[in-house]
Amino acid sequence: MKKGILIVDDAAFMRMVIKNILTKAGYEVAGEACDGKQAVSMYQELKPALVLLDITMPEMDGIEALKKIIDADSSAKVVMCSALGQSSMLIEALQAGAKDYIVKPFQPDRVLEAVEKAMK
Amino acid sequence: MSKIDFNQDNEEYFDVLREIGNVGASNASAALAQLLGRRVEVHVPKVKLLDFQEIGKAIGGEEQIMTGIYLRVEGQINGSMLLLLKKQAAARVAGILLGDPDRDPKAELTEIECSALSEVGNIVTSAYLNAISTLTGLKTLPSVPSLCVDMAGAILSVPAIEFGMMCDKLLLIENRFSGTTDGYLVLVPDIDSYDRMLEALGM
Repeated sequence: MKKGILIVDDAAFMRMVIKNILTKAGYEVAGEACDGKQAVSMYQELKPALVLLDITMPEMDGIEALKKIIDADSSAKVVMCSALGQSSMLIEALQAGAKDYIVKPFQPDRVLEAVEKAMK
Repeated sequence: MSKIDFNQDNEEYFDVLREIGNVGASNASAALAQLLGRRVEVHVPKVKLLDFQEIGKAIGGEEQIMTGIYLRVEGQINGSMLLLLKKQAAARVAGILLGDPDRDPKAELTEIECSALSEVGNIVTSAYLNAISTLTGLKTLPSVPSLCVDMAGAILSVPAIEFGMMCDKLLLIENRFSGTTDGYLVLVPDIDSYDRMLEALGM
């Protein structure tokens, strides 16, 4: 079994889709968070090998959560998830330390490629 | 003063706005088709200038029950976007996404189905806005989606009220989908954003 991944998305459906892709490929899902605030707190608690982090979320968005996670752990591995058209936010995320990004609607192969690349 | 005079013929501007709707809807339908693994038909977009009392009847009939996914648009284009799916189409889309395409189309939506439909709204409107951003060079940022099931008139009253703060009429770009996804995608930019879009396209 590979190391655990934290899935962060405000939509339960998207968390389910990502979880299915990851578990079918043999990854362990360490936990699920539904907003940025919860993601930051769960990251501290679980210390996952990777975070899949949505951008547009209530409470705290993915960019702010990414910055807080990287501030707390500069070796954190984070892959951003976004819908098409959020290129400026993706650039900001990559500059803030995200390893890669995946675009919705998700293609399972692309999700796994980004996960594998980020976890190397 | 706005380029669009709400009391005069604006056909020249409406023609440009229809093209904006066309480009956006083509991208949105491609995202929807990819998401569902099914063909999505797109109709020629319409630009509608409506009095408030006409709003309910304008899309699908005032009392038609629809599932509406609403997002605020911010950035250099401000306004509202709505994905409106007829009740049975929403059930069909949710069923396909959750691996149960033969679900009872009359059954109420479950929590996970509502979540799936909100994401459909998010993905489709993002694809639509991305195409418009590429065309105009104007940045757009959609908000977190909200979902409701209600009569078409009630759902449309949300962007209408926001637009109504500036004007007693509502100007919208309507795109209709058919096939698996029988519904509408509606963009209601605020008045200043209409001007910005037209200027960006040389009008």
